[in-house]
Amino acid sequence: MSRAQSLIDEACTVKGNVQVGPGLYIVTLCAPGIARTVQPGQFVHMLVPGMEAHVLRRPFSVYQADAAAGTFDVLYQVVGFGTDVMTRLEPGAVMQAIGPIGTGWQVPEEGGVLLVGGGVGAAPLFMFAQQLAAAGRDVKVVLGAQTKDALVTYDDYCALEGASVVPATDDGSFGHAGFCTAPAQEAIESGSYPNVAVCGPEPLMKIVSRLALDAQCSCQVSLERRMACGIGACLSCVVDTVEGKKRACVDGPVFDASLVVW
Amino acid sequence: MDASVNMAVNLGGLEMKNPVTTASGTFAAGREYDDFFDVSLLGAVTTKGVSLDGWQGNDSPRIAETPAGMLNSIGLQNPGVKALCEGDLTWLATKDVPVIVNVSGHSFEEYAAVIEALEADGRADAYEVNVSCPNVDAGGMTIGTDPASVESVVSLCRSKTRKPLIVKLSPNVTDVAEIARAAVAGGADAVSLINTLLGMAIDARTRTPKLARVVGGLSGPAVKPVALRMVWQVSQAVDVPVLGMGGICTGEDAVEFMLAGATAVAVGTANFVNPCSCAQVIEGIRAYCVEQGVSDVNELVGGLKC
Repeated sequence: MSRAQSLIDEACTVKGNVQVGPGLYIVTLCAPGIARTVQPGQFVHMLVPGMEAHVLRRPFSVYQADAAAGTFDVLYQVVGFGTDVMTRLEPGAVMQAIGPIGTGWQVPEEGGVLLVGGGVGAAPLFMFAQQLAAAGRDVKVVLGAQTKDALVTYDDYCALEGASVVPATDDGSFGHAGFCTAPAQEAIESGSYPNVAVCGPEPLMKIVSRLALDAQCSCQVSLERRMACGIGACLSCVVDTVEGKKRACVDGPVFDASLVVW
Repeated sequence: MDASVNMAVNLGGLEMKNPVTTASGTFAAGREYDDFFDVSLLGAVTTKGVSLDGWQGNDSPRIAETPAGMLNSIGLQNPGVKALCEGDLTWLATKDVPVIVNVSGHSFEEYAAVIEALEADGRADAYEVNVSCPNVDAGGMTIGTDPASVESVVSLCRSKTRKPLIVKLSPNVTDVAEIARAAVAGGADAVSLINTLLGMAIDARTRTPKLARVVGGLSGPAVKPVALRMVWQVSQAVDVPVLGMGGICTGEDAVEFMLAGATAVAVGTANFVNPCSCAQVIEGIRAYCVEQGVSDVNELVGGLKC
C-alpha cells in the first residue's frame, strides 16, 4: 500500500477569492509544492482560518493548477459554515492544505472520452479535460447547472482545443433545457465515447454510470464523503464497493464505477 | 531539543521515551502519517482496534462535526489480527517505537483469541483492551459499563499475556473509578481514558440524524474537561498508571492531563486537524518543562495543587 506520491501540509497564501456565480467562488492559492505535483482529480484538505469551534479540515478538489506560478484554484460552492467563512478570506490570508491527495482520473487507453460534470462537479474534471485535450484525445464535455449564471466553468472548457462542450441548464436559460443526463445519454448512445468520467450530485453519477456501463463503456466516478483525516487513517469516508469498503480519500476519490455499490 | 529534561516514562511496564502515544483509531498504525513526521519520535504507537477476523464497520455517514469536536461511528472497521500482523506490525517493526495494540472483540473469548494471536506473533509491546467502544452492538462499551464484565474479560486477557495490559475505559458510566478498580482487580497494569462520549447530532432541516447509526462517540477539545475530571478521579482511585486522553491538541493540554494524574497521554482527534500534532505535543511538553524548570517529566504526574 505504498504511495507513489508524498503528501505535504503546505501553508497556502490566498492570492484571490472572487465570486463567479450564485454561491460560487474561486479561491486562488499560492502553494508551489501542491501546484507542481497535483494530478487531475486529486484534492486538498484545507484548514480554513477563523473557523472558531469548527475544528475539522474541509476537502476540496483542485480546479486547475499553474505549476509555473506555483498556484492552484479551488472552485467552491457555499454549502455551510466553512465555505461561508471561506468567502471572506482576503488576499494575503494563509491556510494550511494537505495535498495532493488521492487517486485521480485514469487516462483510458484508447477511444473518445465523455466528461459529465454536474454543478461544481465540473471542477475536478477540468484538469482531466486539459490532460486529454493536450494528448489530442477526442473529448466531449457535458456540463450541467441549475442556471446559466451557475455554469461558471463553461468558458474554460470551451477554450480547450479539440473539446466539444454541451451545456445544459435545469431552467433552460442556456444550452439544453433540463438535466445534463439527457445530452450525456445521447453522447453515450452515439457510440463515439467508449470512456466516461462523471462528477456531480450522487444521483447524477449513479444514472450516468448506469447508462455508461449498460452501453459497455468504461466509467469513472469521483465520490464525496464526510472526511476527518483526509489521508487514509480514520476510515470516516468509506465507500461501499464490490471489493468491500474503500476510503474515498486515498483509494478514491475517483473509482471505477463498475465497482461502486450505490 | 533540550536533552536536560528526562521525558521517559514507564506505563505499567511499558518503557516510553516520552509520554505521548496516539489514541486508537485516529492514527491507523502510523503509515498514513509517515509523510508528516517520523513516528519513531513517539513514546508509543497505539494501533487501530483489531478483532479476530475483521469487521466491516458501520454504514456512512460515519462522522459529523460538532462544536469543538466531532462524532464518529466508524464501528471498529478492521481487517483482522492476521492482516494487522502481516501489514502494520511488519511496517512498525522497521521503526524504533513501542507498539500498543488495541484489542477488540464481540465476546470475552474473542479478546482472548486476539491476544493469543498477537502473543504468537510476538511484536506487540503492550495491549490496550478496548472495553469502551460505543459504536458496536456487542463487546466494547457493553462490557466496559459493567464492573463484573470488565473484571472477567481483563482476567481472561491477563491469563494470555505477561506483557503490559492497559484497559481502555468508557466515560459513559456513573462511576468511572469503580470500573477502573474492576480493571485493576482483573489484572490491568494500567488504565487508559477516556474513550468517546456517546452523543448524537441532528439535521433540523431534514429531520434526520447526521450519523447513519444515529448515535456516535464525541471527541475533540469539547470533551477535554470531562476527560480531565475522569483522569483525576481514576488516578486517585487506583494505584496503576493512567494513560490520559480526550481533546489533547497542545503540549499544555498534555501537561494538564499529567498534572491530573496521567503518566502518559494520547493524542486523538487533533491528528485529523494537524497531522503533526503528536510531534508538536511532545515538543510542547518539553518546552513547558524547560520553562518551568522541571528536569523530569514524571514530576508532573499528579502534581495538581488543590
